[in-house]
Amino acid sequence: MSPGVIRANLVVSLKSFYREKSAVFFTIAFPIILILVFGTIFMNQDNVSFDLHVQDLDQTPSSAQLLKTLELDGRFKIAQVDPALNAARYAKDNKLNLVLVIPEGYQKALVQRLGLIGGVPSTAFRNSNASVTVTYIYDASSSSVSPKMQTLQSALGAVNQGMSGEPPFIRSADTPVLARKFRFIEFFVPGIIAMSVMTSSLSGAVSMNAELRQKGVIRKLSTTPITHGDWVLSNILYQVILAVISAAAILLVSYAVFDVSLRIDAWLPTFIVLEVFAFAGIGMILTRVAKEAESAMAAANAIMYPMMFLSGSFFPLEMMPGFLQKIARILPLYYGNEGLRAAMVLADNMTALRCSAIIGVFAAVVFVVGIMTTKWEEGK
Amino acid sequence: MPKDTESAIDVEHLTKRYDEVLAVDDISFTVRMGELFAFVGPNGAGKTTTVEIIDTIRTPTSGTVRLLGMDVTKRKRDILPRIGVLPQGFTSFDRITVTETIQYYSRLFSRRHPDVEGLIELVNLQDKSKEQFQNLSGGLKQRLGIAVALVNDPEVVFLDEPTTGLDPRARREMWKVLLGLKKKGKTVFLTTHYMEEAELLADTVAIISKGQIIAMGSPEELIQANAKYLVLTLKSADEHALVTVRTMGFDPVQDDHRNITVNVAHPSDVRKILNTLTEAEASFLTLDVRKPSLDAVFLELTGEALRQGSAETMPE
Repeated sequence: MSPGVIRANLVVSLKSFYREKSAVFFTIAFPIILILVFGTIFMNQDNVSFDLHVQDLDQTPSSAQLLKTLELDGRFKIAQVDPALNAARYAKDNKLNLVLVIPEGYQKALVQRLGLIGGVPSTAFRNSNASVTVTYIYDASSSSVSPKMQTLQSALGAVNQGMSGEPPFIRSADTPVLARKFRFIEFFVPGIIAMSVMTSSLSGAVSMNAELRQKGVIRKLSTTPITHGDWVLSNILYQVILAVISAAAILLVSYAVFDVSLRIDAWLPTFIVLEVFAFAGIGMILTRVAKEAESAMAAANAIMYPMMFLSGSFFPLEMMPGFLQKIARILPLYYGNEGLRAAMVLADNMTALRCSAIIGVFAAVVFVVGIMTTKWEEGK
Repeated sequence: MPKDTESAIDVEHLTKRYDEVLAVDDISFTVRMGELFAFVGPNGAGKTTTVEIIDTIRTPTSGTVRLLGMDVTKRKRDILPRIGVLPQGFTSFDRITVTETIQYYSRLFSRRHPDVEGLIELVNLQDKSKEQFQNLSGGLKQRLGIAVALVNDPEVVFLDEPTTGLDPRARREMWKVLLGLKKKGKTVFLTTHYMEEAELLADTVAIISKGQIIAMGSPEELIQANAKYLVLTLKSADEHALVTVRTMGFDPVQDDHRNITVNVAHPSDVRKILNTLTEAEASFLTLDVRKPSLDAVFLELTGEALRQGSAETMPE
């Protein structure tokens, strides 16, 4: 091993990197954009507020009180619909997925139900059969209408329960599994770090082995004293540097914009290095199978993109069908995601250790196979 | 040890086979220290395979190759620091400048204080020293490739088709560089499919065809041995001149510019033709008598033209 040769390679690689704007974009800007976009989308996930359009056909103090109650619930922003309009047409014209219609006679039915005499409830005049039917005019094709309707049902249920005057029989108590409550963005950031390490390492290895070989640079290098080991080692170091830069940029933006709370310790560089070896190894094997640079890059993309979505980088595995979850568990990126989340979010060292062991063994195997199958000298 | 202590390269019964294709067929030759040796032949003749075996990129199927007295298959690590190689179609890192490229390759050879400026001047790239590789023309890239091949001050320089694809001006620039190497006392192993290039630059020329060396020697020796005639050219000649020469029993050829070319066996034939033309009052502007080129030698030896195209002239 020659430190001077490795240093020279690193200098050339880093200069080539910062002079190629697309490489800088995909290594640094792209993951940051993902963080900003997804982070913004899910920023208020824990404090969801729905816009609710309500047509109050009753126009009485009681119906107004119901609207106020729903608003005070905190989960709805109420917008009133003119009673003179056709609610269904209004919903269609304004592309609304839900309009709640309070019927005429709401106050009258309420008075009967509570037995109100001069505004005071009286059990003697109470009519338990008196009721009112509100109407949901909704767009069944909208993916977000279902949680909105469930939330509304829950709010109206609470109103019904309050009117009964009886305490609820079944109560619920919340006991979170985690010591403290985490936001979606804090689960998302480790996934994006794992994903960006994968993309830069895999595409970097393909570029190193296929493009430079196809162009003839490797042929020239084979007539100099640089060894295959020096070349691979310097490129791995280069990939690690890029991965660290990318992870640092992601973390900086996450802290600055979303004020995330993540644990940064030795597990982060450990997973970065293991992932670099694993995906650089896959890249080397790919360039052996697909010798042309274009086909090798296409093969790399064919591996990277499904893995991004199947490994839980962007959303929890529980959202996927069972067979896809089984597939996810054989993907190396899954263990990168899970390991980094265990280390950075959950402070779960045992899970991090298990994931690092799995990805470490995988990295060792593919990297050794990659080295063995990648030609340096023309030989034949 | 090499057969001859003055020899830089000794090739004995070298054969290279790719599956069913015999690329190099039992060739042997020696390159002396300090000479410019041209390996000439058409595309696919086995030139690049041969040079890549000698400069350690490929391994032979059989035969032995000794470079600076060392077996190329066994002592690659000892050989590489002492040779410089310009592979065919040299390329480098796209976004690295001329200066940075030379510095990079110098460091691969552990040269702490390389004469980067001197190398840039040698290949006349002073104006392009800060240009990135991707922005260089083909000729400039090749010249940078030669500078890179010289970063370790090698004893033997291998240049695999350094002028292929270059325009005439770039080729002439490259020839100046090659002559500069020769003056510096480097042993140069040049492959080319331009016969005139070999004829103008080389001390020794080996002509390879279909994997075999079919002739070897100095350009003069090859021409003397294989093309024993003179080429008489009558420029801007009229039709009457063409008919007159033909009736004398020669086989003249007239081109689109009305130039008549005729091969004659002896200088006295030139005098005889001129006298007859004068008597016949045939018209031509000027005349030119030359020895045949190596192209003609190749044609003589193989029965086929090496390539199409006209010869360039020697740089000043």
